[in-house]
Amino acid sequence: MPAHSKQASSRRAGGKAPFLHWMVLPTLLVLLAIIGYPVVSTVYLSFFEYNLLDFTPPEYLGLDNFAQMASDRIFWISLKNTLYYTGGTVLVSMLIGTAVALLLENLKGPVWTAVRALVVSPWAVPFVVVAFLFRFMYMQNGGIVNDILLDLGVIGNPVSWLNRADISLGAIIVANIWATTPFFFLLVSSALSGIPDAVLESARVDRAGLWSTIFHIKLPFLRNPLVVGSLLMVISNFNDFAKVWVMTQGGPGYATTTLVVYVYRMAFERFEIGYASALGLIWLLLLLLVSVFYIRLLWNRQND
Amino acid sequence: MTDKSHRTAGSRGTFRAISGRALQYICIAVALFWTVAPIYWMISTSLKSELEATRLEPTLIPESPTFGNYVRLFQGDLPFVSFFINSVITCFLAAIVSVVIAVPAAYALSRRNFRTADQTGYLVLVVRMFPMIVLLAPLYLILLNTGLLDTMFGLILGYTTFGLPFAVWMLKGFIDAVPVEIEEAARVDGYRQWEILLRIIVPLIYPGLVTTGIFVLMEAWNNLIYPLTFITSIEKQSLPAALVLTFTGQFKTDWGGMMAASAITTLPLMIAFFAVQRSMVRGLTAGSVTGT
Repeated sequence: MPAHSKQASSRRAGGKAPFLHWMVLPTLLVLLAIIGYPVVSTVYLSFFEYNLLDFTPPEYLGLDNFAQMASDRIFWISLKNTLYYTGGTVLVSMLIGTAVALLLENLKGPVWTAVRALVVSPWAVPFVVVAFLFRFMYMQNGGIVNDILLDLGVIGNPVSWLNRADISLGAIIVANIWATTPFFFLLVSSALSGIPDAVLESARVDRAGLWSTIFHIKLPFLRNPLVVGSLLMVISNFNDFAKVWVMTQGGPGYATTTLVVYVYRMAFERFEIGYASALGLIWLLLLLLVSVFYIRLLWNRQND
Repeated sequence: MTDKSHRTAGSRGTFRAISGRALQYICIAVALFWTVAPIYWMISTSLKSELEATRLEPTLIPESPTFGNYVRLFQGDLPFVSFFINSVITCFLAAIVSVVIAVPAAYALSRRNFRTADQTGYLVLVVRMFPMIVLLAPLYLILLNTGLLDTMFGLILGYTTFGLPFAVWMLKGFIDAVPVEIEEAARVDGYRQWEILLRIIVPLIYPGLVTTGIFVLMEAWNNLIYPLTFITSIEKQSLPAALVLTFTGQFKTDWGGMMAASAITTLPLMIAFFAVQRSMVRGLTAGSVTGT
């Protein structure tokens, strides 16, 4: 791929290149309408008190919404929950996905192809279904999770996984890990297959042990894909709505309320569009920060 | 845990090699159980009678397997077939619209034949990461004011907010892999730029177009927040949103029926997924992963 971009940039150096190309115009215009305008509108509304149910025009508040946010206990709880949810999911999924990819790396044949297909299959389960499925399995009475754990003697009494403030977020994270692990498995598997044979060959000649092969030879090749992949998953989990909404709707109390759930409730249950916009704006800035990391990473790669 | 590294261990390591292998298989078995068990549980429960599905001591294998839950989905009070068709139509159209608009942009970005190509490319990338929740209220107000709330158009518009930037960036990756030399010959023959795109590039990246379309389709199929907000009458609802909205009603304690509905919701995604699985990672990380 670097070879192509080099060719492309050398052609570009012709000097008479236009400022913009008409071919990107349709995309830019559509994005301007369905993303540009809403974002500007969010910024604008974040300075107003605007409740859809009041039927009164928006009232200018200045920075009041943001001041309110600083002292809004639920905002901080939801921010903390989002960080746990995203961090926990991405970290554990990455570890499991990498480990399973290494375990299956050199196993060939139809049986192992089938095993690989099974290992990635959770990726194809819609988020809503993941949520319902785990909600069913987590049931206090008659849920399979409690049934198995009781039989194994791990717990003495059935646990109400999703209704206890101390463990509900953890229970949702487990479900989310189940759904996210296949991404890292696929990512690492394809990165592993990209390691040049010569490198592995020289490790063999040097009689490098199993662990030193993994840590000193394979992991350096996995670093970049893992960084890019985790950033993508951080962004996608930051925005995840379906799983939390279906499993707990953010409860009990605010124990599993993530920022997305909080903004949704603010906008579409209380219809406080102004305050919801202010929350959304902070949200946007946080994500932009992550995006900048991601883009700088791609940028450095391209200029290597 | 490779067989290559074990082989070098020599005869002294034979025992270690065997126990290493056993450990490897045990770990794989655990991983396999972890991924397959919930899916098995969904299918198994969907084949149970209503009573058996919620029994306090769950049965691992359905005692008397029945397709009753599936039959009831299509004969019950709820327009389940409509939900399915609504999802199929809106997701397909969103995928097609996104890909068609994205192709020329991806081509121009890949060939970088304009001065702001880098900036435009990164703009699209940033937009791809925008939190949907920020767009939700303004888009809702737009649809409300234009009378497009509760229409398929509004839903497709919503899906396009993530489908289009995603498609541009992914298609750019596919076009990057087409050597520029192929175009030179066509240019010498007097082809214009849009002719090169339509007659040479598009046929060459056809599999990429399908893959990109399916990705957008999957994302749209997965989406819950837009249909939940933009669609207000139940018979126009998408499949995932309908599951959420009806669970409080029809399915409240009917987990067998719920799991049957879940299995039907999963099936199209499963088929689509395995059709494009091989280009999955490459598509998602769009050229940023070496060796894909």
